[in-house]
Amino acid sequence: MDLYVAALGFGLISVSVIAIAAVGFTMQFGITNMINLAYGEVMMVSGYAAFYVNRAGVNIWIAMFAGALAGAVLSFLLNRFLYAPFQRKGTNLIGMVIVSLAASLMIANLMLPIVGYYTSSYVVDQGPLLRSNGLVLTTAQIAIIAVAVILMLAIHGLLRYTRLGKAMRATAANPTLARNCGIPTQRVIDVVWLITGALCGVAGVVAGMNSENFAVSSGASYLITIIAAAVLGGAGQPYGAMIGALIIGIVTELSAAAIAPEYKEVVAFAMLVLVMVLRPQGLLAKRGALAAAG
Amino acid sequence: MTTFRSSLRVPAFAVSTLAVLLLAACGGSTSTGGGLGSGPLLEGVLAPFSGADASFGPRYLAGCYAAALSINGAGGIGGRQLSCQQFDTRGEPADAVPAANAMISSNSNLMGVVGCTSDEASTVVPILDRSHIPMVCMTGQSEFNKTSFKYFHRLVPPDSFDAYAMIGSALFGPNHAPYKRIALVFGDDIGSQNFVGPAVAALNKLGVTIAINQAIHLGAASYRTEVAAMLQTHPDVILTETIGSAGTYMKEVQQQNGGNVIPFIGTSATIDPVWFQQVVDAIGLPAFLANYTAVDLRLSLQGAGYDEFLTELTAADSKFSGSNALTYKGKSPTVHLYDGIILTALAMVAANSSDPTVYNPKIFEIANGVSGATVVNTFKDGVAALKAGKSIRYVGAAGENNFNQWNNSQQGYNLVTMDKDGNEQVVGQLTEAQTQKIIDAGGNA
Amino acid sequence: MNSYYAATLLVYAGVDIIACLALNLQFGISGIVNFSFIIFQAVGAYAAAILSMPPDTANGGYQVYVGGLQLPFPIPWIGGALAGGLLAIPVGLVVLRKLRSDYQAIALLVLSVIANSVITNARPFLNGAAGIAQVPGPFSDQVDPLSQSYQLLYVGLTFPCVLLVWLIASRIVNSPYGRSLRAMRDHEVAATALGKNPVQMKMTIFIVGGIIGGLSGAILVGYIAVWAPSEWLYPETIILFAAVIVGGRGNNVGAILGALLVPVGFEEATRLIPATIGGWVPPPNLIPAMQWVAIGLLIIGFLWFRPQGVRPEPRRVFEGSPEAEEVDRVRTA
Repeated sequence: MDLYVAALGFGLISVSVIAIAAVGFTMQFGITNMINLAYGEVMMVSGYAAFYVNRAGVNIWIAMFAGALAGAVLSFLLNRFLYAPFQRKGTNLIGMVIVSLAASLMIANLMLPIVGYYTSSYVVDQGPLLRSNGLVLTTAQIAIIAVAVILMLAIHGLLRYTRLGKAMRATAANPTLARNCGIPTQRVIDVVWLITGALCGVAGVVAGMNSENFAVSSGASYLITIIAAAVLGGAGQPYGAMIGALIIGIVTELSAAAIAPEYKEVVAFAMLVLVMVLRPQGLLAKRGALAAAG
Repeated sequence: MTTFRSSLRVPAFAVSTLAVLLLAACGGSTSTGGGLGSGPLLEGVLAPFSGADASFGPRYLAGCYAAALSINGAGGIGGRQLSCQQFDTRGEPADAVPAANAMISSNSNLMGVVGCTSDEASTVVPILDRSHIPMVCMTGQSEFNKTSFKYFHRLVPPDSFDAYAMIGSALFGPNHAPYKRIALVFGDDIGSQNFVGPAVAALNKLGVTIAINQAIHLGAASYRTEVAAMLQTHPDVILTETIGSAGTYMKEVQQQNGGNVIPFIGTSATIDPVWFQQVVDAIGLPAFLANYTAVDLRLSLQGAGYDEFLTELTAADSKFSGSNALTYKGKSPTVHLYDGIILTALAMVAANSSDPTVYNPKIFEIANGVSGATVVNTFKDGVAALKAGKSIRYVGAAGENNFNQWNNSQQGYNLVTMDKDGNEQVVGQLTEAQTQKIIDAGGNA
Repeated sequence: MNSYYAATLLVYAGVDIIACLALNLQFGISGIVNFSFIIFQAVGAYAAAILSMPPDTANGGYQVYVGGLQLPFPIPWIGGALAGGLLAIPVGLVVLRKLRSDYQAIALLVLSVIANSVITNARPFLNGAAGIAQVPGPFSDQVDPLSQSYQLLYVGLTFPCVLLVWLIASRIVNSPYGRSLRAMRDHEVAATALGKNPVQMKMTIFIVGGIIGGLSGAILVGYIAVWAPSEWLYPETIILFAAVIVGGRGNNVGAILGALLVPVGFEEATRLIPATIGGWVPPPNLIPAMQWVAIGLLIIGFLWFRPQGVRPEPRRVFEGSPEAEEVDRVRTA
């Protein structure tokens, strides 16, 4: 029983890492209507940006900002110079998926000669290990969970209470109508890419902290889990992504305890396929993306 | 209505694409006959240079560079200069086949090939053998323990022997009582598969308790639950490899075990500066030094042969600036493949023929040495001795080689650890009797 | 002239053409975004392997797998094709519903990742990560597999299969059935209103594509004699998709062109990049990495400048109307 409680605690960390990433991913999908398969690679690049800053002596929690910045800039450029032009040209959904795949291929292979094939790791002070009722977590891990909670609240606040948030939700629901109402949709989209890119960057750093060792190949492995969480909760729904992350994170760790650990990701993906079959729109049923909860 | 007329109009350039490739496939004729021939010679490095095992190729290439410099510095092979070229198999068999075929067809001056890892050996070894190309391979698969391929040579033991050596370390190692409960923690890749089966068989036969046999998915984000499950079985020692994920795993062990790392024994692949760095970063140097041991091929890294290797490797490092050759100075594959190439070159000189069917058997002779052979440590000395009419035995950078009837050579294992700078240090050895006992238990020696 | 390399290129070209024709039937004609396509090739290869291999205690007993029935040609190839068709049934039932095209794609992609992970970890089933090696090819008892005549034999076995598949695919594409499929692809609601049953049609073409995909796997495994999970990771499907899109979806010639250009052409031509460039020896991993960057650029370039592919789908009009011209068609979802 102890193992399961511990697994639950570990699951919370996984949830935090996946949630930050999945919310960013799903917002990109909700507003621009495309599945950005280069998301994992942007996470990886941001992780490395923070790595170089960290190795230069900066504390990892501050280097995280460097990662966020890298993610924001890279995502913005990716949209500006690759995705948006193709979308304006009228490329269909599958064409866009292939474009983003080609982009991810290129980013990963451009990074390889720069950073090499070996793994890297951050210099992190994990802090004391805390035990309570079977949960086993270090201070740094609790801090990761805190970061995730803060960011989720921030996104919630952004969407619900700010003008920008309202503009985002309007653009997501119906871009043409939003434009006709005077919302500068182009600028809104740019801001969305910057914000989600920053989320992506933080996610990359946090994932690197979580994994202890990361490499260029980590990008692809992040991606599938993030897509699973995003689609599980309902693509385009940030709150759905949070719920999806919660489910995937907990289920993964519990099944590692209950079944053989080498299948833990398989279980999570199988759940995704099940949901897609039974309830393709995901768990949160609202049709329009970025509808506020409640 | 579309007619067949338009669909049969296969555009010309589809045909010409294929034609270009087929033309490129044309190589020159192979040279035969007595004498060493003329013109440059090529040593092919057929290994992964991209994909999951992309780190393998460069370390083999470094050994080739060092060998080529050593050979060319001594006047080449009958005046023929040797160069090295990489051929990327991308780490999977379907890409390895065209790589091997392209290599053979575009180069009629192939002296030999090194590389052929377990990612692709099953497909490329037959191809190379049929083209009579002497190869020195790195695959640890047991399929090649009793191979019938005449051109196949292996200077490193099969992976199953690594597993036996690790068990030997656990049972007979110095500085500790025999461990009673053994945890096996390996990844789900091909290399690890070669260890686990023999290890389990041997341990069961010897009656030692396997606390847990845990396969982990390499490259996963975290292993917290896996580690918790492992700790619950209370092992005394962990046998592991987990390239790339070892730091992640061991860190969890340290955290969940109240700051204490369980003793862990690594395979020979863990004797690697990168592995060292990952795990030390994760658990800290004191914990590492106190708990880590490994098994390694008996590589002394000393002697005249090794000195020559190191000299040439240093030269290669500056000549081929992107290769980082010097980082591999202690790596077993680099050293062994260097020796393999020197052996091939000496075989050519000894046979005085550029025909591989003539010089291939000489590799065996020069490695094992006939009775009364002069021992030489470098290519230069070897050529000089041969010129003086002597028969030679090459004892090179990695020391002696002893091919068995299946062209497998290995020198046994050391029990080692690493010091604070990541340099390898020998702490013990297994006796013949101990080794044999485990091999007998595990099978397919 | 090295006949082995030439034979390798020809056999690979044949296998890729067959695979692209199958994918074109599923994706180009019927609009099913089968991002799991590679598992059909994989199941065909594994099926052919376990049908033709001796029992797993042979060859030293280093491998563990099911089957090992040692059946002669052509049973393994037929078995491979059937396995592909059989796999299509549960996969199709699970995924071929009213899913948005990109959701469908993702679900299928995830399925192929799951399959690869399960096979890798379930070692006694198909020998895990090491895969199955020393697969005997057709007639390998009678003709030495390492001889030149065997290469000729293999090419001689492959190309009739290519022709057969092309005939079948042409029959389907240029038939009333093909018209229904294209109607379903372009306007599913309208097609349903006309009485076509999209789910049934999708299922049928999915199975047909699966059968052909399985055959391509059986042919490939007989040639390279090894089949391991590393050969069917999900990027392999992407390469085939790029091939169909670059060549021109919706028509068989386009699929053939794409097969020759992308998996054969791009991937093999990059081997011809010289090792040293004007005396400079690049770091060993640089050129392989740049090859993949080049492939990515090529795909993006094609999608930008010629999204309809090298050979666009011919626009079909009724008899009696002005002669059809090939027009630029950039479809929106």
